Amino acid sequence: MVGNDIVDLAEAKRASNWQRPRFLEKLFTPNEQQYIQNSDNPFLTVWQLWSMKEATYKLYTQLNPSRFYNPKSFECSFQNENQKVRFKDFEFFVQSRITSKYIISEARLNPFKMNSEVIPFNVKDYKSQSGETKAALMERISKTYQVPISKLKFQKSEFGIPSVSFDSDKINVSISHHGIFGAYAFESTVIPAKAGIS
Amino acid sequence: MTKEELIPKLKNIIAPYVQDEEAFKNLNEDTDFVKDLKINSANLVDIILDIEDEFDIRLENEDMEQMLDVKSAMEIINSKLES
Repeated sequence: MVGNDIVDLAEAKRASNWQRPRFLEKLFTPNEQQYIQNSDNPFLTVWQLWSMKEATYKLYTQLNPSRFYNPKSFECSFQNENQKVRFKDFEFFVQSRITSKYIISEARLNPFKMNSEVIPFNVKDYKSQSGETKAALMERISKTYQVPISKLKFQKSEFGIPSVSFDSDKINVSISHHGIFGAYAFESTVIPAKAGIS
Repeated sequence: MTKEELIPKLKNIIAPYVQDEEAFKNLNEDTDFVKDLKINSANLVDIILDIEDEFDIRLENEDMEQMLDVKSAMEIINSKLES
């Protein structure tokens, strides 16, 4: 299982204002607000924490199919080089990559090597962007698993959780869009469909 | 507040964050903020803060948890206005 989330930093500046009243209190725990306050670049810290929470939420909903909005209940922590996010009794592993243009975070159940691929979009509208990300994901899965693209099927569950299946196998995937960037990640192990969580 | 009073107020609040204008034109009780209107999850908090300001209410985390569509947003606003 895998969750990922991308933040386009220019879009975050344009479309959100982390300094508006009550914004931080709504999304972040007191500990996280402390990280933000102590940061040399609070803007980057806000959006890194946000993407860690979102990536973890997507991972959690693969584990427990559901939909809800409660970012504050996902608590991020940094221990040396390790990023973790805690939710209820679960502790998840998270990694982030920060560039001058975006932050990408990926969450998994066990320590891992990041697999998220970032796609800069050429188009503006949401539907074409979503199509581009999916196409790139399908192409990559096709190459990785040596399966023709025509055999791959992309689907979303009633909770909006995406996966790709082929023959009788299923792969958990994660897709994210923000501003001019898209990103996808996929699980490196294939689950036989009947054993997988649908 | 009645549905007829609430929906136009909500429409004003969410308009700046909508990414699917077609779905926005057809907005009704069952419209989902994320699935239908393609609102980025990073902006859901802005909608919540805007709702708080517009109706002069405060929403707790538990209130926010199910605020994913027009219907649940209306229910939560009304329950806060009545309490």
